[in-house]
Amino acid sequence: MNDQSRDIQIRVPVLTRVEGEGALEIDVADGAIEHLALRIYEPPRLFEKFVEGYECDQVIDMVARICGICPVAYQMSAVQAFEGLFGFEAPDWLQDMRRAMYCGEWLQSHALHIHLLAAPDFLGFDSAIAMAADYPDAVRRGLELQTLGNDLIALFGGRSVHPVGVRVGGFYRAPRLDEVEPILKRLQAALPAAEALVGWTAGLEFPDDEQSFISVALSHPDEYAIGRGNLISGQGLETDISFYESFFEEHQSPHSTALHSTLEGRPYLVGPLARLNLNFHQLPKPVRQVMDGCGIHFPSHNMFHSIVARAVELHLAVHEAIRLLEAYREPESSYIPLQPREGNGFGCTEAPRGILWHRYDVDDKGIVRYARIVPPTSQNQGRIEEDIRHSLERLGLESADEALRLRAEQVIRNYDPCISCATHFLKLDLRRR
Amino acid sequence: MTRILGVGSPFGADRLAWDAIDHLSGMDLGEVELVKLDRPGSGLLAYFNGVEQLILLDAVLLDTEPGGVSLLDPGQLDGLPSATSSHGFGVAQALELGQRLGCLPGRLQLVGIHTGADLSTPPNLDTAGLERLIRCLLPESVCRP
Repeated sequence: MNDQSRDIQIRVPVLTRVEGEGALEIDVADGAIEHLALRIYEPPRLFEKFVEGYECDQVIDMVARICGICPVAYQMSAVQAFEGLFGFEAPDWLQDMRRAMYCGEWLQSHALHIHLLAAPDFLGFDSAIAMAADYPDAVRRGLELQTLGNDLIALFGGRSVHPVGVRVGGFYRAPRLDEVEPILKRLQAALPAAEALVGWTAGLEFPDDEQSFISVALSHPDEYAIGRGNLISGQGLETDISFYESFFEEHQSPHSTALHSTLEGRPYLVGPLARLNLNFHQLPKPVRQVMDGCGIHFPSHNMFHSIVARAVELHLAVHEAIRLLEAYREPESSYIPLQPREGNGFGCTEAPRGILWHRYDVDDKGIVRYARIVPPTSQNQGRIEEDIRHSLERLGLESADEALRLRAEQVIRNYDPCISCATHFLKLDLRRR
Repeated sequence: MTRILGVGSPFGADRLAWDAIDHLSGMDLGEVELVKLDRPGSGLLAYFNGVEQLILLDAVLLDTEPGGVSLLDPGQLDGLPSATSSHGFGVAQALELGQRLGCLPGRLQLVGIHTGADLSTPPNLDTAGLERLIRCLLPESVCRP
């Protein structure tokens, strides 16, 4: 048997050092991949049932517990659903400050992924700890930006992990001006680092790996969409978020406890690269100029350019947070009391990893009777499997087992999936037949 | 400046360090900052800034003397899994990264609080043992007798 036709089994039985629990299975026979599965075996968390019977404001704090990295996204999608149902349109101050808070989440999440999770793959290290010996300044930059993002979240949410500041009709408390000013100064001081980060990521060595995929994101006529907008795709879809269920389907796969999503039967991409591919023309001019000068051109169909897209969005988050906080004024009231209304509410916002869609059916007392939550990682699962297959074939299935495993893991981490949380896997059970 | 960090979460025995911080907040420890953190991951390093002495409290999987406290050697954390961490980045990894970056406080002391075998329920904290240990670790100029 020559090397090209060898049979290979790659098994990563436990994706360790991860938020979620998953595994990777790849079987190669006669020079072709005959089986590939990103197995997610973490037990279902059943949050959608937990929230039934609770008031809307309680649900906003409950769904924040779904994720320690993107709790703001869960809160924002939920509050948007309830406020839309109750006929409330957030005034400008509230829209702006929620966007500023969301920028904090993008900043901390993107800084974490770029520096501690993805960069080691591109620079040939097995962890950020190992990378820190040769790139201490880069790791420090990542940690400082992450801390700044966390502190921006805490400004509005009281704390950065599972914040508690968001409520129907506004915030429980508006920050005082003297609390805003120190954060604003730190954001202004961080702007050069955020700009430089775009060039730093663009200077990494990327595999030549153009692929065809469908990008899906929110789009808003007035801004680079984060917390509001219509759903659009690179294939021409444009629809109100309330029609999500008419176009997107979820189905169960035997190898995953997380539902797979498809758009008209096909996998699709959500997240930074999808957003930038669809909305790059809406970047503020200073952010656009830095992106245009970095040497990587968007829209891009090289999935490895996701790290550059994250850096561009991190720059955007710092730029936007500065703009919004420079105009900060303390409101007379941090929220407007709302009267609950019976019906179905829909929310969709751009979590760091992509669109996060919520639906709540609420009774006339404001009690949630039914909930449906579609997170970004669930939506990206099919795309990840498609990408691994393509990338390994592009790399060459005759490559060494270790090279195949590393490339597969790099592809998974590239999506920053919440379930396996894009970290480095410790164990590999690899068998040849 | 001296800072005491309690790392944990609201769940079961993982909240022991938070209980310890609550208890310490009722003591007169002088110029000591007490902070509760919910699984900070790499964000732990941000709490090393501007600190001369850091005492870090965390629940440890020990089924002897549930609720008891032990002073740990940082080496004892090596290889510990980080099941309740963020992105697989737990206290041990954060300390290792801090060491690589040269940003660990001049005096760093780790205090483990024994979980016991039942992780779903926090055992009764050995408050007397905790008080004794913390007073020993704090310099007299900080901790008035």
